[in-house]
Amino acid sequence: MPHVRMIAEQVRLVSVKTDRFKTGRISVSMALPMDEKMAANSLLIYLLKRSCREYPDFTLLNGKLDELYGASLSATVSKPGEAQVLTLSLNCLDDRFALTEESIAGECAQLLASMIFSPNCKNGSFGADNLAAEKRLLIQRIEEELNDKRAYAFDRCISYMCENEAFGKPKYGTVEEIEKVKMADVYAAWKNALSTAIFQITVVGSADADEIAEIFAKQFEKIERSPVKPVTVFRQRGGHFNRYEEKFPVNQGKLVIGFRAGMQNSRDNLAAITVMNDIFGMGTYSKLFTNVREKLSLAYYCWSKLIARKGLVLVEGGIDTDKEKKVSAEILSQLSDLRSGKTDPEVLECSKRSLKERLTFTTPEGICSWYASQVLEDEILTPESRMEEIGKVTMEQVCEAAKKLSIDTIFMLSAEEEGEADEG
Amino acid sequence: MKVKQITNEKLGETVYCARHESGLEIRVMPKEGYSSAYAVFGVKYGSIDTAVKSDNGEFETIPEGTAHFLEHKLFESEDLNAFERFAKTGASANAYTSFEKTAYLFKGSENIGESLEILLDFVQNPYFTQQTVEKEQGIIGQEIRMYQDLPDWQVMFNLLRALYANHPVRIDIAGTQESIAKIDADLLYRLYKNFYNPANMVLCVAGAIEPQEVFDIVDRCIKKSETAKPAERKFEKESAKPVQSYIEEKLSVAQKQFLLGFKEELSEPLLSLEDEIASEIVLEALFGKSSPLFKRLLDEELIDMGFGSEMFNGFGFSCVMVGGTSCDPEKTADIIKSEIKKAQAEGIDPAAFERAKRKFYGRYVMCYNDIDDIANMMMNLYFNDYEPFAELEACKNLTLEKAAERLAAIKEESCALSVISPVS
Repeated sequence: MPHVRMIAEQVRLVSVKTDRFKTGRISVSMALPMDEKMAANSLLIYLLKRSCREYPDFTLLNGKLDELYGASLSATVSKPGEAQVLTLSLNCLDDRFALTEESIAGECAQLLASMIFSPNCKNGSFGADNLAAEKRLLIQRIEEELNDKRAYAFDRCISYMCENEAFGKPKYGTVEEIEKVKMADVYAAWKNALSTAIFQITVVGSADADEIAEIFAKQFEKIERSPVKPVTVFRQRGGHFNRYEEKFPVNQGKLVIGFRAGMQNSRDNLAAITVMNDIFGMGTYSKLFTNVREKLSLAYYCWSKLIARKGLVLVEGGIDTDKEKKVSAEILSQLSDLRSGKTDPEVLECSKRSLKERLTFTTPEGICSWYASQVLEDEILTPESRMEEIGKVTMEQVCEAAKKLSIDTIFMLSAEEEGEADEG
Repeated sequence: MKVKQITNEKLGETVYCARHESGLEIRVMPKEGYSSAYAVFGVKYGSIDTAVKSDNGEFETIPEGTAHFLEHKLFESEDLNAFERFAKTGASANAYTSFEKTAYLFKGSENIGESLEILLDFVQNPYFTQQTVEKEQGIIGQEIRMYQDLPDWQVMFNLLRALYANHPVRIDIAGTQESIAKIDADLLYRLYKNFYNPANMVLCVAGAIEPQEVFDIVDRCIKKSETAKPAERKFEKESAKPVQSYIEEKLSVAQKQFLLGFKEELSEPLLSLEDEIASEIVLEALFGKSSPLFKRLLDEELIDMGFGSEMFNGFGFSCVMVGGTSCDPEKTADIIKSEIKKAQAEGIDPAAFERAKRKFYGRYVMCYNDIDDIANMMMNLYFNDYEPFAELEACKNLTLEKAAERLAAIKEESCALSVISPVS
């Protein structure tokens, strides 16, 4: 069971004490509204990861991590709902396995705290070179999203679908916004995050959580907090249906169909929707796997994904471009079967068992991300309580949840015909 | 079965090894406090097996991609397919094919014994018809197309094709559209008989299970075979000289990507584990995030955070790979080559060596967190004739002299550069 405590206003520390692992994990998440500061926020998290006052250079900081037995530091920017979440995490070896006597977890927590609260920043500047370098890397990261056509098509579908909603914005901000960010903006973003972000520190491992709580609490004492909680707007039904297409010189086309799940908040009818989505297109017993792939051999992958924190379900598949109509008709026909209860009752049981299995985490990363992803929820839920809710879902509830799915947008990334590229 | 226990005191872990009378090797690591188990049933048969030894002692060529094709097909049977059977126990099952092996696996927390029986049963009972083979050609065809669009995948296989003239490591794991078209049910049965015999396989289990339970299940479920013997591999000797020193392909990507490879001439088919780890540590010291070179390339805007290196070796092949995204791959490659030369002339920085060694030691220990990693590592060690924990000992005992010896094995005249560049 996790231990939950507040160490400052809207700064929650969730710790799961266990000595079953060889490593420990600490992650610090900061949730901010999706506003004009997104680009500066993204640059900030990468600057914080680059160096800190104690290790004021990229090479020195990474050397320190190597010495801590290859502790791995990561910075991520995510968009779980209509919020931008900046996360810094450290994975480190448990003290019991060090070659000499040392407190690795304590050092790692200290290091993480100093990266956030004592960055490599003098007179409001993180260093012009550092900022320029992080701008280049971030812009490159965004441009490279094009390299993975599956992920690219998925994101494009969302951006078309939520064109007039905050969720449609790119999680890092746009390239134009990033280019325009000035040093003062990043400094302001840092100050703003410390005072207004909703924080969650998540700790998994054998480390002393009290000690870690104290390290962070001491830092927050110096800060005047006035937290601002980001709010996600849930649109329950798709509006006017649209289809968008982009052509690329590729071998395989990517089809993405976006649905609204009819949710009013991130936990609204969640258990039933989770099971419905799983039977629709997640498990190997799902309708999409058994029909689109196994029966019709139209795709190597065709699955559905639930984005509960925005109330969306997206179906995606890698297909031959000329089979788009056939595949989308099959997907919709499977959905119609799901709605009308044409599902083997055994499949419902399979799905419940499989979902429970997926909630049985076997790594510190798995446990940590389950809790860290709840940064914006008022109440922390355990995997066990979710399992229990899932266990109670009936076939009627699955059908009802499926009926609430409404199609919103289709995005097709098509393969250019031979010669088309030359003409274009 | 005679059971041998191998314990690593520092880790506090024990592996139970036994050889079943059929010739099947079994390795089990029970993990206290874990509620799930992971089992992998591996066959020494991968994409590099493009020849089988016939009764007259000659090697006969077979189409490319058969190991992977069989992997897909074994999940099917005359009545319930393997996925359907696992769905009843709740375990999540999967399989993968690599250069040197095919692995079937599941992970589950309930009915573990039953899942293990299903695993052993479906892999031992092939069932295919011409019709099911043709259906799979469609699915695998889509899989091949998907990989053709992935730049990371293409940059590596192009490099392998530039480095290796004959060794089948140059062939895509799944084969090609043409080669899989040559596969029929008869061929699959024949290859199945050749490779899938207990003496050519291993079962590794980690997690919430008693070793004796695993041995009992094997006793009950593994068919005895009089003729079982490990399949022989053809050692395709390659000279140190690459086929071509430069290879380029245009794909729909945002930036240029590159991979620089240095081929090593082998007199024996396999590198020792000590040599392999020594090379990894050398690469980390030279090109890791705390190396001066990483910082320099970053400052000169020649790479991004994805820059990295790896030791890539197996039966009959061994090479060093360094690469990432770059606006100028050729210039970057020149800098990498001169860094290697400099280190060869001046020696490896002892501090960097120690840091890299500590990092690798930590990372190896971290692998023992995760039951997936543990089972797969036990399998890999067995297939290369090593005892459990051999990698930890090899890492701990590594000397700077050994590292220097491995550094000297990197030869500039044996290198090739693979580049993916954006279409137009």
